[in-house]
Amino acid sequence: MRSLPARWPSVLALLGALLGLAFAGVSTLDYVQHLDRQVHNMSCSFVPGLTAAAGADTACRAAMYSPYAALFRDRFWGGLPISLFAVGAFAFLAAFALYLLVARERAARRAAQFFALVGWTPLAASLFMAGIAIFKLGHVCKTCAGIYASSLVLAVGAIGAWITDRRSGQLVRTAPPPPKVAAPLDAAAKVEAAEAAAAATAVAPTVVDAPDDDTTITAAQSKAAVPAGLRRTGSLLLLPAWLAGLGAFTAAPALVYWQDLPDYKNHVGSCGTLPKPSAASKDVLHLTSPRAVVPATLIVDPLCPTCKALHQRLAAEGILPALDAALVLFPLDSECNWNLRQPMHPGSCIVSKAIVCGEQRSQHLQVLEWAYESQDDLLEAAKAGAGLVNVRAMVKRRFPDLDACIDDKATERRLDRMMHFAVDNKLPVSTPQLFVADQRVCDEDTDLGLAYTLRLLAPQLRSP
Amino acid sequence: MNAAPFVAIGAAVALLGGSSLVLHSQARAAAKRLVLGVVQPDAAPVAVANDAEAPYCTPEFKNVLARVINACGLTAQDNRRGCQPADVKSLAQISDADFNALFTPLKDRGAVLMFDDASEKLDDAGKKVLDDRWQDRKGARYFFVVARASKTGTPEYNEQLSHKRANSVLFHVADTFPSTELDKQVGLLWLGNQFAQLGADYCQWNVSRTKGCNAEAINRSAFVSWVDCQL
Repeated sequence: MRSLPARWPSVLALLGALLGLAFAGVSTLDYVQHLDRQVHNMSCSFVPGLTAAAGADTACRAAMYSPYAALFRDRFWGGLPISLFAVGAFAFLAAFALYLLVARERAARRAAQFFALVGWTPLAASLFMAGIAIFKLGHVCKTCAGIYASSLVLAVGAIGAWITDRRSGQLVRTAPPPPKVAAPLDAAAKVEAAEAAAAATAVAPTVVDAPDDDTTITAAQSKAAVPAGLRRTGSLLLLPAWLAGLGAFTAAPALVYWQDLPDYKNHVGSCGTLPKPSAASKDVLHLTSPRAVVPATLIVDPLCPTCKALHQRLAAEGILPALDAALVLFPLDSECNWNLRQPMHPGSCIVSKAIVCGEQRSQHLQVLEWAYESQDDLLEAAKAGAGLVNVRAMVKRRFPDLDACIDDKATERRLDRMMHFAVDNKLPVSTPQLFVADQRVCDEDTDLGLAYTLRLLAPQLRSP
Repeated sequence: MNAAPFVAIGAAVALLGGSSLVLHSQARAAAKRLVLGVVQPDAAPVAVANDAEAPYCTPEFKNVLARVINACGLTAQDNRRGCQPADVKSLAQISDADFNALFTPLKDRGAVLMFDDASEKLDDAGKKVLDDRWQDRKGARYFFVVARASKTGTPEYNEQLSHKRANSVLFHVADTFPSTELDKQVGLLWLGNQFAQLGADYCQWNVSRTKGCNAEAINRSAFVSWVDCQL
């Protein structure tokens, strides 16, 4: 019987694949939960399935809402999450690792070769996704990190299994050729014979492919001779067959998911319209690019994290440039917004005034995007000792030319009129709010279902 | 017999089948919640944006405000604009002194536009103050104009003069800041000398003429202010 050290690669690969399956499964279930358009707690932990504390799942949420988390988001509400494909792939690879572990030398040598060939693909995908997480999203979620680590373990196991297989092949081939005999040995006896031969023979770095036909030896001869492990290599056709199996497994969960997706057509666009879309029309800011084809109204607070996320999603999905958007600033800060008794996002009034002032130099989008990028720092500065003075200083440092305008009464009054837009249209005191033409995009559709919803409300947005 | 392929196939079917079953049941459950519209227990109702509500909006103040607004056509239920003193008298149901006192909290928010004797013409200083006050709307819904006339002259004459002064203010606003919403925003009140007169202490308010402000002059005026109360 083979010792554990010779089997460790398969064990490792199996462990990696099972862990990967667990993490991918949990990630998929998080996604599936949100198909009801509600917000749910998420499993965001290095222990698969452990629910994260409220607020501690920011990275996982950011990853889930990002356009990189799913395919075909404009075709289906929420799209097809990438983790679905990982579930199928890990299930296949776990079963394959188990096969190698159980079959040992009875497995065709093509099996180890195939496993080495495909065993690193989850790692390649993980590296790609990790790159996106780090460089595009700025967060790495724990569940995702679990998948990356599992992929690494799987890849090491798969490559290890192949190397072990090669070594055993070398050992076998340097042994004396086996005699032809009448009675065949059973597989276990062959293995033992091969081990005995390997132990007795010096290793030469020669690699020759073993013949495909089984070699037979007698039980008596097997004690001293190498059976050789002249293990079968297996037909080349096995590779495409296994590859097809892997493909089928990878696609199967996605097909199940696609079949079970609810119909969202009756829900999308059921959140009302703007009764007075032209209110404050002279006072709103405009975000219009030459590609703009769809009129929209965007109500945002520059220090609201959800607004930042929506802005990033609109930009990442390529929707923002297609919107002829009226930007209504609605800072959730009692410093200027009479709808609040306490500031929810202190400093937001100052930043909003800076954005209004930016319009004079066509810098308002730039100021808004700076505010989103610096959001954490601005909010932290506002809560620190000097409070709003810190925020003002940060704005002045970045946009010194806007400083005088921020104090101008006209700026304050224009911001007031923008906030009256919300009153006149009886809008909820919340941000962000997005209207396509006059039709409100339900809050439930501003994250996972954004691309689908927008393209349903404005078919012009659909990419050809 | 090599059992490995069977073990592997069994494991593959179990892993994929199990995953798919869980996926299927969870997706179905989500679809059901979607159809039934299950509301999350922690979902708090969201407030709707409204007009400002300043601390001076006491129940008494709002009572007067509501009656004036309803009587003076600001709710857009009829085509009337403005109220006559008799309307206010019967509607407000409070004493003259209290009526004046109600507007005291608006000292920093409003202004007093002063007129020449027997004239309803707004001078440049008055227009400037009016423009400034009008633009300083903040979160208010209603703009009040309370015009007055001094004790000299007959009550009828004073009432007419007071009415003209109120209109002067309205016309200036309408000319300078045209809006289809004015009918629902501006409430006019014209008070004759049958109402309590203002004292000289009102000269400390934001007045359009600081020179020569006295008890006589302060009553040849129109008090203007946005009112930051929800109704």
